[in-house]
Order: sequence, then structure tokens, then C-alpha cells
Amino acid sequence: MAGSSEEGQVIGCHSVDAWTQQLEKGNESKKLIVVDFTASWCGPCRFIAPFLAELAKKFTNVIFLKVDVDELQSVAQDWAVEAMPTFVFVKEGTIIDKVVGAKKEELQQKLEKHVATASA
Amino acid sequence: MAVSGFEGFEKRLELHFFGDDFQLGLRKIDFESIQLVLEQVQCTVVSAVGNAYFDAYVLSESSLFVYPTKIIIKTCGTTQLLKSIRPLIFYSRLIGLTLCSCRYTRGTFIFPKSQPFPHTSFKDEVTYLEDTIPSNLCFRKASIMPSMSSSHSWHVFTATIDHHDQDNELFTMEVCMTDLDPILARKFFRRPDDGKTGHSAGKEMTELTGINDINADALVCDFAFDPCGYSMNGMDGDWYSTIHVTPEDGFSYASFECVGSVNANNIGHVLRKVVQIFRPGTMSVSTTCSGYSNEMWKQMATAVEPLGFKCRSCAMDQFPAAATVVFQTFTPRRKST
Repeated sequence: MAGSSEEGQVIGCHSVDAWTQQLEKGNESKKLIVVDFTASWCGPCRFIAPFLAELAKKFTNVIFLKVDVDELQSVAQDWAVEAMPTFVFVKEGTIIDKVVGAKKEELQQKLEKHVATASA
Repeated sequence: MAVSGFEGFEKRLELHFFGDDFQLGLRKIDFESIQLVLEQVQCTVVSAVGNAYFDAYVLSESSLFVYPTKIIIKTCGTTQLLKSIRPLIFYSRLIGLTLCSCRYTRGTFIFPKSQPFPHTSFKDEVTYLEDTIPSNLCFRKASIMPSMSSSHSWHVFTATIDHHDQDNELFTMEVCMTDLDPILARKFFRRPDDGKTGHSAGKEMTELTGINDINADALVCDFAFDPCGYSMNGMDGDWYSTIHVTPEDGFSYASFECVGSVNANNIGHVLRKVVQIFRPGTMSVSTTCSGYSNEMWKQMATAVEPLGFKCRSCAMDQFPAAATVVFQTFTPRRKST
């Protein structure tokens, strides 16, 4: 199964199709999804990237998706992304939380909170 | 005054570069290199955000802004800011950018004896700058701009190449406030064991103090330190703003800085809001305009007059091919006589 090899990874979505597919798959799984809206030219995105990779390894029951705002402009626009990085928390098709900026503690705390609610 | 405490007064460095790549420019410098620069200065990143125009970092001691051809780095405490110049020149050269102008400014330290080299005195700083900056930035000037009180002055060093294109519409305003209203300053203390992250506690302070009203359109990246202290960067298109607060009694300090257009007339409104948030016992306002006129100071005096603040001194100085700086000091009327 494709899912198992992606577990513990931040999955890059490089086309609108791939994005839609990953999002649908994630919503069906009822798992918590964290979408990282990022840009290659954004220093703060490079600052947080290693930390996000660590979180993905640690929170294996959470799906981590990555969207480059230049690559998938329409998606970034639809999701009203204005600053990078923006992390959007999605659960069963609903946006439940958001972190704008590279804020390590905040990202980890919100992850812990939403994982706890999901398993409660 | 306390014998020793945290030095709120920041040192501020603005570097401009030129080169072939104007689009991303300095934003291409990888984060590891930025981290190495910050190590030299002795501070770290606590939060960061970027938009289409620039990257803004909140540091353990103040802020860093990275534009394609411009870097602004501002650090407080006992950081060694000037040590960032050499590595910044080095890393920018790797991506084909060359330094064309440098501006260093600071107020008067509350605890000057605690400052490490090269910040031991303005003379030492200027010597260090002279030695560090490439010789083609040959138009140089160092100046200490006075106020009525000898304890407060504005230190400026500029260096630039012969021909340096600048945006003549932009100005920078740097506000330094001491002796903050103790009741207002208390809002920048965290409750012990509040269980919050520095980010969420910071966000609360931003809202509670009205900082979010200064520019409602700005995206704010904020941080509250433990047990006290606060920093924020605001992003509004390609304009930044930044606030840093050391709220402890005895050496309380807050700074506000922003860029604006000389043609917009809202800066008085901004300054008024800032004054209302901190109600300082003493305030200095420095405005820097590129070009050889600076009329911004008139707006500042008019803006804070209704709040009971009186302009006590106003000094103007011109810097070769770089800027005109006006340094004003204010105190509340009741403190006069």
C-alpha cells in the first residue's frame, strides 16, 4: 500500500491532481491532516522544514502534506494563503486550525492538542 | 535606576546591496548561513514568516528583515551586532550581490559598561565599522546627535558608494521609549506557569495592549518571553514594523520602528497609538529620509501634542549620499519645568 511508505514523511503535492487525491484520501481516512504551504524563496520555510520532518516522523498517525505556493498557485489562492509558511489543520474535510509563520512550539502544541482530540 | 539590568536599547544595522539578481537576491541565502550570522551576533530565531516581498524573523534579541537587496538587523541586550557585517558581506557575495550602503544607528545605552566589544563605546564601534566595511563605500560619516538632556543622544554611522539609487519616498521611523507607565508595562509580563507557548502568549499581548490596532492590515508575528518581555514584527505588503518591550521597572524600555511613505499622512496616527500603548516618561523619535529634506518631524510633534507630550529637542543632520536624519525627544508636559 502506498500509504505505508508515506507514513512518517512530509508528502509533497506537485500537481493539482496529486493534491486533490492526497486530500481526499486523507479525509476518507479520518486522520488529522496538516498542510504546509511553503515557497522555495522563503527563508522562514527553510528554517522550519527540518522541524516539520521531525514532527512527521513522530506523529505517524497524522498526514503531512506540502504545497509549494508557486507550483500550485490556484490551491494557495483557494486556501487564502498570504504568508509563508502557513500550516492548515484539516479533519474530515474541515479546517480546524491554522498556524501562520514558522513557530515551532506553537505548531507542536497544536498538533498534540488535535491528535489528542482525534483519539479521545 | 537599577545597577544592572537588561539593555533594551537596540543597535540597528541596515545594509543595501546591488547585483544582477534583484528578484530573490538575499532571500536565497540558506538558513544555515543566516544562523551562522546570528551566532556571531549571539542570538537565535524564535519565530519567522515571509510574504511575497520579504522575510521577517523575531529573534531572541529583537528582529531581522531580509529583502532581496536589503537587510535590516536590530538587536538588544549585550549582542555583538556589528560582527554580522563580515559574514553578511561574505554570504551575499556568494550569490552575486555587493554591499553598496551601510547605516548603523542606536540610542544611548542604559548600561553602557555591560556592552562587549565592539560596542564598548561609539568610538570603538566607528573604528570597527571603518575597518570592516569595504573601501569602495568611501562616503562615510559618524555623528552623535544631541538632545537637551545629555543622557540621551542618537548615534549614527553611514557609509555608501558614490552612486546609490534609493527610494526617495520611503522613510524610517525609530521610536525609543523609556520609563514606561508601570500599569501598561505590566501587560507584558506572563503569569507563571500559564501553560502557553511564547507564540500564543505573544498573540494575547498583541490583542490585549492594542498593538494589533496600530496597523489593522498588518500580519503580526509575535512572541512573549518568559517571564516577561515581548517582540513583534508586522508585515503589510513590502512594509515592515517592529516592536520590542523590556517591561521591568527601573529599566523599562519599548521601541517601535516602521517604514512609511513621505507622501502618506498617517504616520502621526501611528505614533499616537504607540504612545498610548506605553505612555513613556521619555521618548525619542528618529526619522530617516533618503534625499536631502526631511519634513517628517513636523508631523511627529503635532501628533503627540494632544497626548500631553512636548517636543524638548530637535536635531537634524545630513549624511553623504545617504540620508537626512532628524532626532527629536519628547516628555510629558507634567514632567517639565
